[in-house]
Amino acid sequence: MEDSKVVSTSEHLLEVKDLTTRFDIEGGQVYAVNGVSYTLDEGEALGVVGESGCGKSVHALSIMRLIPIPPGRIEKGEVSFKGRDLLKLSDDEMRQIRGKDISMIFQDPMTSWNPVLTIGFQIMEALQLHMGMDKVAAHARAIELLELVGVPEPSLRVDDYPHQFSGGMRQRAMIALALACNPSVLIADEPTTALDVTIQAQIVDLVKRLQQKLGMAVIWITHDLGVVAGLADRVNVMYAGRIVETGPITEIYKNPRHPYTVGLLGSLPSIGERTGERLFSIPGEPPDLIGLPKGCAFAPRCNYRTERCWNETPELEEVSPGHYAACWEKDKVRKMQ
Amino acid sequence: MVNYIIRRLLMVPLLLFGVTVLIFLMLQFLSPVERSALYVRDIPKNERVLEGVIRKYGLDKPMYVQYWNWLVGIKDQSTGKIEGGILRGDFGYSRTASQPVVDMIKHRFPATIELALLAVVPVLFGGVFLGVLGAVNHNKFIDHFVRIFAIVGWSFPDFVFGLLLLMIFYATLGWFPPGRVSDWANQVIQSGQFHSYTHMITLDALLNLRFDIFWDALRHLILPVITLAYLWWALTLRVTRSSMLETLRQDYITTARSKGLAEKVVIMRHALPNGLMPVVTLAGGTIVGLLSGVVIVETVYNYPGVGSAAANAAVSLDVITVLAFVLLNGFILVMMNLLVDILYAYIDPRVRLD
Repeated sequence: MEDSKVVSTSEHLLEVKDLTTRFDIEGGQVYAVNGVSYTLDEGEALGVVGESGCGKSVHALSIMRLIPIPPGRIEKGEVSFKGRDLLKLSDDEMRQIRGKDISMIFQDPMTSWNPVLTIGFQIMEALQLHMGMDKVAAHARAIELLELVGVPEPSLRVDDYPHQFSGGMRQRAMIALALACNPSVLIADEPTTALDVTIQAQIVDLVKRLQQKLGMAVIWITHDLGVVAGLADRVNVMYAGRIVETGPITEIYKNPRHPYTVGLLGSLPSIGERTGERLFSIPGEPPDLIGLPKGCAFAPRCNYRTERCWNETPELEEVSPGHYAACWEKDKVRKMQ
Repeated sequence: MVNYIIRRLLMVPLLLFGVTVLIFLMLQFLSPVERSALYVRDIPKNERVLEGVIRKYGLDKPMYVQYWNWLVGIKDQSTGKIEGGILRGDFGYSRTASQPVVDMIKHRFPATIELALLAVVPVLFGGVFLGVLGAVNHNKFIDHFVRIFAIVGWSFPDFVFGLLLLMIFYATLGWFPPGRVSDWANQVIQSGQFHSYTHMITLDALLNLRFDIFWDALRHLILPVITLAYLWWALTLRVTRSSMLETLRQDYITTARSKGLAEKVVIMRHALPNGLMPVVTLAGGTIVGLLSGVVIVETVYNYPGVGSAAANAAVSLDVITVLAFVLLNGFILVMMNLLVDILYAYIDPRVRLD
């Protein structure tokens, strides 16, 4: 499809090719992820941005092979990690990668911890499983990890239960859990969405700092372009299960070429904007994945659409080095002033 | 944890007070003459004597006086002996069993406990096990099977089910006889050589190393146990299944899987303790339900426990006996709830630490 973008399999840490995840629901099939391809290099930070329901979380769960089957199904594609296709591994082989080489932080720290087990125990589980540690060593390491993510008095808090932690602290501990086995990829699935704004910034900073320190690659999934700005090297913008624009973060900000990206940028409030002005919002609703139009999924909400948009689906095409957009009218699309 | 348990323990006397008041109020529907069975064995026919009895035991006094007498008993002025008083273990005289109620209970309760305990095993283990199995294999063949099994059990009245089993396995196949033990075994039990430690025959037989009697008692127990257990088994199964399905959808299960834990560990360590919480709540009720269920099951199988005695008493309007049975169940209910509360604290740190 977009082979020009794919240099060579072996050069990238993670390479996703034509990943397609389908859900069988009443009334039909839904392609939550529809032919997503991209690469991730060692130590790189990639932002994945889109509205809720655009498939960004499902794509992450597909990489981890944590999609509930049924109703979900990874229909086709390839996820090659260090040269191995994760989608072809046995369940046992995949388990050895989960939590060790690729780990994940989830959206809601309130519900992501098992309420009947201590925080320490839940971190130790991963250490004992993947690092071959005994209980004593794992307990000591769990304390170190909690300290690393800035949980105060970690040697006391390690034996606390999740309900004794605040939301921000739980998310910090969740990062400690995710980093326990020194993964080479950390997938953060909207880790700040459920938190207060001030805590959000702390978590973003923490991940950024730890990424520099530990050198892992990060896939940061969010609906908030503002959050990725200070964090990611590159951004994938997703809409209705597809990547509609991808490129270096500065390019995307300065020179967006997909009307959806333009809309997302336009709906960010910025300091210094004239007060009293209404914040822009993209007209219409996020698409209903059951009744997608034949052509471009964004066409119904798009200001630039032409007849062609209704009938033909645009593919990603390069607009400048490393910057791709999937839009028939990409040459006309300009950032809002 | 200790505080929590103390608070729960303090509730127990209050609840028991409530139970006794309710049952005492039910006693007030009886005439003073009928209520005299609480204290005397034979209700005198002679009206004079009868009036003497009523006056002697204060059955014409205000309700609170009667309640107090009912609790602690009443002192016979001439002999100095205390008569009646449920706190002393005197529940009156059972007309249908032709013995004091407390003796009837002592005599028959072990048989009922034996039946109920044996029924708990399939209920909890079969119910929980199959429920988890159904949830883990959601919408697969085994799940459908388990659901059908549960729906049939839940909608089958136990007396119909009991009679059906009796018809097939006793009348047609002759495998499992009704009653408690065969005559030959009964003779052995009544003889001096057999020590009745617990009065539960299966257990006593094992302790006496009489495996033939153990087998005989078990054969008599199988049908009543299945009949008694099926309804609660089905209910436990359904609750376990839906609760496990709900738990398996929780975010922390995805977290556990994302750590690379094996599915067995995810289910046993992460899902089960959470999924079983509603089952623990249900378990207390199940045990009480089993003890009420014995009324019908023991009657169908002619099994000599407190349930069949209560059924006998009910049809002969022997209210004293029936209410003693109700009181006993009320007491067990309160104790089971206490046990459930403590178990809850043990399982759930949020309860324990708050």
